[in-house]
Amino acid sequence: MTPVDDDAPPASAAESLELIRREQAAAARTMALNPLLYYMPWGGAWLIGFGLLFLRYGPDGRVFVDLPAWLPLASLFALMALAMASTALVSAVRGRGLEGRSSWQGTAFGLAWFFSFAGVGTTTNRFAQFLPEAERGLLWACSSVGLVGALYMAGAALWMSRDMFVLGAWLTVINIAGVLAGPGWHSLLISLGGGGGLCLLGILLHLRARPASRA
Amino acid sequence: MADLDPVIHAQARLRIMAALSSLGDGDRMTFPRLQQLLDMTAGNLSVHLTKLEQAGYVEVVKSFRGRTPTTSAGLTNRGRAAFDDYTNALRALIDPPKEP
Repeated sequence: MTPVDDDAPPASAAESLELIRREQAAAARTMALNPLLYYMPWGGAWLIGFGLLFLRYGPDGRVFVDLPAWLPLASLFALMALAMASTALVSAVRGRGLEGRSSWQGTAFGLAWFFSFAGVGTTTNRFAQFLPEAERGLLWACSSVGLVGALYMAGAALWMSRDMFVLGAWLTVINIAGVLAGPGWHSLLISLGGGGGLCLLGILLHLRARPASRA
Repeated sequence: MADLDPVIHAQARLRIMAALSSLGDGDRMTFPRLQQLLDMTAGNLSVHLTKLEQAGYVEVVKSFRGRTPTTSAGLTNRGRAAFDDYTNALRALIDPPKEP
C-alpha cells in the first residue's frame, strides 16, 4: 500500500469498520426525520378537530356536546396550521445543507400537496353550495382526507416507504367507510382512525428508531 | 492490509467517504454541513475533498443560492463502488473466505 499523504490510516481493519459504522450512524442521525414531530401534530389536529366535529355535529344531526357552532372547525384549522408549521420546520432542518436528487424530490412533493389541495379546494367550494349543510361538511372532509391518503401513497412510492403506503391506504379505506356511513360517522372514523393512526405511526416509528440512534 | 485502496485508507478521507455514503444516489451535502458533521477544519476538509475529487470518487459542485456561493460534495458512482470494494476488503481481512 502506498500512502498518498501523511494522513495516518486506521490501525486495523476492525478499527476502519468501526470508524465507518460510527460516521454512517452520525450522518443518518442528522438526516433522520423526527417521526414524533412529523406525525404527532397532524394526528393531534385530526384527533381533536374531527373529534369536536363528531361531538357537535353527530350522526343524524345529533349534538353530543353543545359546543359553540364555530368551535370544531376553528379548532381543526388552527391545529392544522400548527401542524403545517411543524412539518415545514422539521423538513427545513432536515434538508438544510443537502442538495441533489432527494432535495428536488422533497420540493416537488411539497408543491404537489399545495397545488392538489388548491385544485380540490376550488372544486369542492364550487359544488358544495348545492348540497345540504351536513353533506357539505362531509364533502369537504372526504375530499381532503382522500387527497391526503393518495398523496401519502404516492409519497411511499417516491421514498420507498412501506409505512407511509400503509398509512395512505388505511386513510383511504376509513375515508371510504366514513363516506358510506355518512356525516357524523365520518368525523368519528377520521378522528380515531386517522388522527389516532397518525399518532400511533409517529410513536411506533420513534420507538423503532431509538435503538439505531443509540448505536 | 496490502490490498486496501490508499485513497480511502486514511482516517480523514475514510470519514468523509463514510459520511457521504449515507446520502442517497445523486445527493450532495454542503461544505459547512459536512464540516460540522465531521468536526474538521475547513482547510483539512478541503484538502481531502480535493484528493477524493482527483481520484474521481467525489463530485464537488459549486453553485449560487441567490448571491451566496455554495459548495457541495457527493459520491460519484465510481466512488460508491470503490467504497463498497474497500468495506468488502476490510470484512474479508477480518473474516477471510474459507479455502474449499
